[in-house]
This record gives sequence, structure tokens and C-alpha cells, in this order.
Amino acid sequence: MLTRLRVLLKPLFRRHRFEEDLAEELRLHVDTYADDLERSGIPRAEAVRRARLEFGGVESVREDCREARGLRLLDELRQDVRYAVRVMARTPVFTAAAILSLALGIGANTAIFSVMDAVLLRMLPVEHPEQLHFLAHGTGDNPGLSSTYPLFERYRRDLDVFSGITAYNIQEFKVSSAEGSDLVNGQFVAGNFHSVVGVPLVLGRGFSSEPDQPNDSSYVVVITEGFWTRRFGRDPDVIGKRLAVNGKQVTVIGVTGAGFDGLRPGRPLDITLPIALKMVEDPEFAGRHDTWTGLNIVGRLKRGVEDGQAVAAVDTVFRGYMSDPAQDWVKRDGRLPDGLSIGRLMPAGKGTGALRQQYDLALRALMGMVAVFLLIACANVANLMLARASTRVKEVAVRISVGAGRARLVRQFLTETVLLAIVGGAVGLLVSLWATTAIVTLFRAGQMPVVLEAEINARVLAFTGAVSLLTGIVCGLVPSLKATRVDIAPTLKENSTGSAGTGRRLLPAGKVLAMCQVASCILLIAWTGLLVRTFQNLKTLDAGFQKDGVLLFYLDTRGSEAQVCTLYGGLLDRLQALPGVRAAAVSTASPLATDSEERGIRIPGLAEEARARTAVTNRITPDYLFTVGIRVLRGRGVTAQDSAAGPKVALINEALARAYFPDSDPLGMTFSFMSAPNDPVTIVGIVQDTRHRNLREPAPRMAYVPLAQAEEPPGLLTAVVRTAQDPRSHEAAVRDTVRHVSPDLVISYVRTLEEQVDASLVRERVLAALSTGFGVLALVLACVGLYGVVSYGVTRRAREIGIRIALGAQRAALQWQVIRETLTVSAAGIIIGLIAALVTTNLVSAFLFGLSPRDPFTLVASVLVLLATSLVAAYLPARRAAAIDPIRVLKTE
Amino acid sequence: MGKTADLLPGTLDMLILKAVSLKPLHGYGVLLRIRQISKEALDIPQGSLYPALYRLEHQGLILAEWGESDNKRKAKYYTLTQAGRKRLREEAAGWNRLAAAIAAALDATPDEV
Repeated sequence: MLTRLRVLLKPLFRRHRFEEDLAEELRLHVDTYADDLERSGIPRAEAVRRARLEFGGVESVREDCREARGLRLLDELRQDVRYAVRVMARTPVFTAAAILSLALGIGANTAIFSVMDAVLLRMLPVEHPEQLHFLAHGTGDNPGLSSTYPLFERYRRDLDVFSGITAYNIQEFKVSSAEGSDLVNGQFVAGNFHSVVGVPLVLGRGFSSEPDQPNDSSYVVVITEGFWTRRFGRDPDVIGKRLAVNGKQVTVIGVTGAGFDGLRPGRPLDITLPIALKMVEDPEFAGRHDTWTGLNIVGRLKRGVEDGQAVAAVDTVFRGYMSDPAQDWVKRDGRLPDGLSIGRLMPAGKGTGALRQQYDLALRALMGMVAVFLLIACANVANLMLARASTRVKEVAVRISVGAGRARLVRQFLTETVLLAIVGGAVGLLVSLWATTAIVTLFRAGQMPVVLEAEINARVLAFTGAVSLLTGIVCGLVPSLKATRVDIAPTLKENSTGSAGTGRRLLPAGKVLAMCQVASCILLIAWTGLLVRTFQNLKTLDAGFQKDGVLLFYLDTRGSEAQVCTLYGGLLDRLQALPGVRAAAVSTASPLATDSEERGIRIPGLAEEARARTAVTNRITPDYLFTVGIRVLRGRGVTAQDSAAGPKVALINEALARAYFPDSDPLGMTFSFMSAPNDPVTIVGIVQDTRHRNLREPAPRMAYVPLAQAEEPPGLLTAVVRTAQDPRSHEAAVRDTVRHVSPDLVISYVRTLEEQVDASLVRERVLAALSTGFGVLALVLACVGLYGVVSYGVTRRAREIGIRIALGAQRAALQWQVIRETLTVSAAGIIIGLIAALVTTNLVSAFLFGLSPRDPFTLVASVLVLLATSLVAAYLPARRAAAIDPIRVLKTE
Repeated sequence: MGKTADLLPGTLDMLILKAVSLKPLHGYGVLLRIRQISKEALDIPQGSLYPALYRLEHQGLILAEWGESDNKRKAKYYTLTQAGRKRLREEAAGWNRLAAAIAAALDATPDEV
């Protein structure tokens, strides 16, 4: 094998040696033959002559030998590359323009692809991620992942198709130190998590796979590289250090590395604790059958086990568990809801899919946009090549007449464009480095930071390489085929620059390319317009609350729960007393925060339905509605009199009133929450609808109840503060006040309501910003392309124009003629582009809000922009045409 | 030199393989050996010998090594590789089948039809 490789490669790298050897071998042959002839009695001189003669042309034999060793292609390639480099160096402006076009096009594609790679394609940095599967349940695209601990135990006991099954539960933790407390992202995991998932460790060890029972050795923590860096400055002696997590002292035993952020890509992970500690916090956790939250189960499939076999096994165990009487509480009319009826597997090699789902479509759309953008760039380069090819007609004719094959010439042209594309691709990689950083920053601008590690990896490099190569071929194909179809005789007979004869045939190709450019461009501009207007529509939407002038933050009260309400009383009084603060309140939810609690309700007099009645519930203090700017339409709001001791009351929004009290006045009526069916609450007010989960969805049914009347004090609350001026300017004072009231209160995630609303629009903003960027660049490229074609046309017809001027043509008329021709080309492109835009509307309609994908305003605006661009492109060449000096032009003939 | 026959296309490679299968040879030696073993009936055009050798080497059927010729000059000797041996066997078998078939066809008499 190795010898074989040496045989194949040696001539490539030791070319000089190869040639010498070949010459030596042939010389030996001729000499030996001559010796033999001499021995048979022929005189030496005659023998040598005959030996040479019979052997034939040494040079052609050598050439054949080289070809036999696959060297001829290489030689020709080398020739072509050398030639291409020379041609490129001779026309630096042309080369720079082409490379720049390609660099932008390829760079944009690389950038989007590397983001796509990070979001959609990348596997978790663990051992054999493809073997990992979530043990999920339910049907459809969105299977449920949450489970109970007993289900996890049952899976571990009954399944033998997995080499290991483990579980994790993501939540936030309070990490305290002398400087104060912080909320960090963490997870509780089963003891076998690190070994089953195959988590890479840079220091120490993972948890040991003992049964998950709390004991002394449970007080340990494994931290991620990010947390190690942030908190410990990458201290190599971090193992054995202690950390106060949720009020417990735990010892650091390991540091995970290699970008491992848990099984939830896009979100940071700081610490991992053994699930045994959760059992310390919540002793019933291990036996509880009715809490289907947070605990995700993941297993590593044994080698050779078929997916179908594994799914069947999981389904059997799952159904067995669900038939347990302990699960009767989830049944409706004796039946399990769809989401809990079957067990199934979900590939876990890329982690949970929230980020993928959120951006999958958007990234595909962007990929489509950059592909169109690259087409525009390609058309530009092809056009430039065409224009230049026309000046090389004579050279081509000469080469064909001396016997060069057309295929050979086409290959040479292609070498040139591929070389351009490869250089363009290399520059494009640099462009993409910058662009990727910008895009990742766009993603990060949200409040819940999306952690993206977009990088230039092997996959991205391969993509860029392939795109460059393809681009080179696409750019070069039309020009090379056109340019090599040359009528030899007339071209050679002509004694001038040799372009007039074939130029007329070359121009239409250029026009067609320019037309395609305009068409692609209008497609991009129309999409951009739609996306930008969607973003604006959402930004300016009346969501039912007033987003300006509100500061909010999370308050973690776990550990100080007994006096929560009095604590808030004192805190709110102090906050309200701050200068510039108009109102302050706390609540369990806030508009467009990612958390919302949907609770089942019962309405007396209304029959039970198969689908439970629900209301998104927010527990609030009296000033909440005023602070957030939600109007009470009828009745009253929550007051200080609605205390724990007072009668239970609630406010509902219009959506709930419409849905559940369609024929009656809800004021004064009662309903009860499923969790406390014998504790009716009286509706005392109706408030305005507000968008809650996101801006696109209409307002959900909502109920507001006094925080003071909550059944159990919630641990995590949102504080909202309405300020007279810029809410951010009050941040420091607010933080001071909170610390002053109680050092136990962890304040986190300080943001304005406006930022919170913006954060829900990350996808829209990314799409609008990027498409605008690509749109503007596409316009520039199309403008340059159009300019190139028109300008080339004017140069080509300089003589004709000169003659017409000499014959008395009006210069203004000539100018108008050039502009008219340009507009004809772009009008044709615009029509094609509009048709394409109308046909492809369903590609973008999923992203739009508040306008139709055929929005006439956007389409008309795109057309106007394109027409204006065409005018700009035509202006200079038109002026040049009108300024042609007939005497000079005719003299050069 | 006696009467020489024209080479059928595709047979040159087979003959070269056969020649070097007997003993390592340099290029000129291959020429002589083929003439010898074909009882002077086959003469290879000298110009096409070397490209064929290089092609066979490229395909990994023969291996080239520098050695010394009878007249004490540096010469490139070709030997058959394992793959070459296999190829020679296949080609020889194919050729024999073809030759036998053609011979049988040409021997046919009116009675047999």
C-alpha cells in the first residue's frame, strides 16, 4: 500500500528527479539498441542514427510517459494557473472587483452557514453523541421530555437496550459568597450522568454512579469551564474548594471542558449537582408521581440495537408506568392525554431542540437569501469576464487556429474563474469571521443570552471550499463557452482590436446576466422590505401595556419565605419613596417574560369539558397594573385590603371574559382554581387584554390574583418599578434599596420592559438586520454589474456614436438612449423578479406579521429602489456617450 | 527478423506483464524478451513501449527499481507486483478463451452447421 502511494505521489513532488530518470531510461534504450546494431556489423555512426530513427520522437514519447503517469493534466493546470495569474495581475481593477464581489458573496454564505452549523448541525461535545437519545413521550414534532423520578427508576430497572440511562433537571441556583449572592444556571443530575453522557472533564472527576441517595458524599459540585474561568480565574487548585449553593456547602470535585454546556445548547451552564441533593431539599421528590417538570431522561443506546426495537421497549415501559393508578390524576374521562399516551425516543446527540426549533426556519431563510446574494455576485463576475473575454477574441482565435481544442480553452477560462473564486473564498473567510461575530452579537442582544459558538471548523471550511469551487465554475461557464465560440476567419482578418465582429453576440449574454441580477436583487429587496416592516409592526404594536419607563428584575426569596409579604411591603414602600419612582410592585409574571403559569380553573354552572379550562395566572401586589400600564376596564383593581385574611378575589382580562362568560357579566361571579376547588374567588374587575407569551400571539386568557392571597408563597418573583425618566438610570438606587431591605434577597436579571419586549423579537431583529445588510450589498453589486454592462456597451459602440454625433445627432437624445436601454434591461429583470417574489411568498410568509407577503407597498417600493439604482448605474456611461468626441473616435480607426 | 504480426489492441500490456513475470527486466530488455518468447513473431513499436510501462507502473501492476545493466550502466528494472500477477492471470485466461473460441469458429465445416 505504501509503495503504491509512493509510486503515485513521487512524480508530483520530485518532478525534477522524474524527468531526469525518464531521460536516462530512454537514453539507455537507444544506446543499448545502437550497441546491438553495431554488434550485428553496422558501423557505429549508422547504428546510432538507425537506433534514434527507429525509436521515434523522444519528446513525444516522454510526453506520453508523463501522461501515463497522470502528469499532463497537472502540467496543463500549472500552465493555466500561471497564465491566469498573469492575466489577473495585468488587470488589477477587474481582478479586485471580481474578488471583492466573490468575497462578499462567499463570506455571507460562510457566515450564515457557520451560524447554522452552531445552531442546527453541531453535536454535543461528548463521547459518541449519536448514541444518546431522550426517553420522551407523546406524538408529533414536539414530544414531551419531562418525567418523574419514579419513571426514571422504572426505565433503569426494566430496559436492557441501553448501556446506560441517566437524568438531569435544569434549574437556577443561588450561589452565595462574602460579596453577595448570584443566580447561576445549573442542573441536578443522576449520579451516573457524567459516565453515561461521556462528559469531557479537564480537571477532577464526575459523580460516581452510586444509587441516588443523599449521604455525606452528596455535597459535591462539578463546574463548567466557563464558571471555573469566571468564578475561580481558572485556578488549577480549584478541586476541593467549597461553594455555598442554595445555602448548602458543597465541594468542587471536577471541571467539565471542551465547550460542554449541558444538553441544552444555546444556554449557559455553570454548575452540576447530584440529584441526591435535590432529595435533601425535597425529600418526597424521589417518590412523587405527579410532578412532571424539569426532569429529562437520556439514555445511551447499546451498539447494534435497532431504533425500532428500542422505541418499542421504551413505549412498553412507559405505558406500564402510565397504567399505574398513581397516574390516574392526569386522565380525562378515563383517558390519557395525547402527550402522555405513548413513549418514544428522540435523538439527543444535539441536545434539546428549543434553540434549533426557534431558528431552524429563520436560518434556512437566511441561507436562501445569501444563496441569491451569491448568485448576484456570480453574475457580476461572469459579466466582467464576458466583457473582458471580448477583448481576448483575437487571442482565442489564434489559439484555436493553431490547434488548441475548445475543451482545453474552456478549461483555461474556468481555471481563471475558479482561481478568482478560491481567492475570493479565502478573503470571504475573513469577511465571514467578522460577519459571524456581528451575527452572534445580534443573537446575544436578547435578555436571555443565546450562547453561540460559531466558529470556522472543518465542516465550515469544507462548505466554503465547495461553494468557492462551484462559484468559480458557475461564473466561468457562460463566459468561457461564449468566448471560445469564435469564427476564426473573420476575426483574424480584422486588423483592429478585434472586438466588433463578435461583440454583438457577446452583449446579449451580458444583458441576460444583468437582468438576472436585477431579478435576484428585487427578490432580496422585497424580502428585506417584508421582514423590516414585520419587525416595525411588532415593535409598534399596542400590546396592551406600556413598555417605556419600567424597570424590572427577579427577586429570589428562597430561604426567607416566612415573611415574604411583609418584606415586600417594606421593600415596595422604600422603592416608591425613591426620587423619580412613580410606582413599584411585585408579581409572579410579567409581559413577555419567558415564564408563565397556566392554571386549570373551574367555573360553577359550566359543564366540564374534555379540554380543561385554563387561565394564565399572575399574582400581583396592588400597584402592579398601574406600574406596567394595564388599564382596569370595569370594576376595581387589587387593593391593600385584599389580604390573606380577606375574601378571595381575582381580576380577569377581556379574553377570559369573552371565552368563559360570553353571555353574562362576569363581575361578581366566582370561579375556583383546580388546585383549590373548594376555595372560590370572586371576580372584582375586568382588565385590558395584553400580549403575554410573545407579541404575535393574541392575548391569552388571564387571571390576576392578589399576591397576599397566594396559597403558598412563591420563591421567585418579578419586581416592577415605573420611573419618570430613563429606567436604567434608577438601577443603582434600586439595587441599593433591595440590599438595604435584606441582604438575603438575590436580585438578578435587571432589565427594562422595553428590553424584555425586544428580547422576544430577537429572531425578527436578526432577520430584518441581516436581510437589510444583504439587500444593500446586493443593490451595490447589481448597480456595479449594470454599470459594467452599459459602460462596456458604450465603449464598444463608441465609433457608431461618434458617427451619429458627427451626423448631427442630439447629445441629449443619445444620453436618453443609453438610459432607456439600461431601463429596458432592468425593467425586464424587475418583471422576472416580481414574478419570482410572488411565487415564493409562502417561503417568507411564516415570518411575517401584520402584512401580506404580497404587500403592495413593499413591492412598489422595491421596484422604485431598483429603478433608482438602474438610473445611478446608467448615468455615468450615458454622460460618457454624450461626451464622445467624434473626431478622436474616428481617428483611432 | 522474421515475419512480424501486428499487435492486437490491448495485448501490449499483457505481453509486458508476461515478459517481466519471467525475470526483472529494463525497458529494452522487455522488447527483446517479447521478441524472443514470441519466436520473433511479435515486434513492439519502440515508441509505445515506455508509455505502456509507465501506465502499468501507475496502475501498480509493475514496480520499477534502479539497478545495473549488463553493460554496467544505471538501468531501471521492472518487476511484477502481486496485483500485476493477478492481472496477468486474468488477461491470459481471457485471451485463451477468446483464441479458442475464434479457432473453433474458424475450424467450423459445412457439416457442423
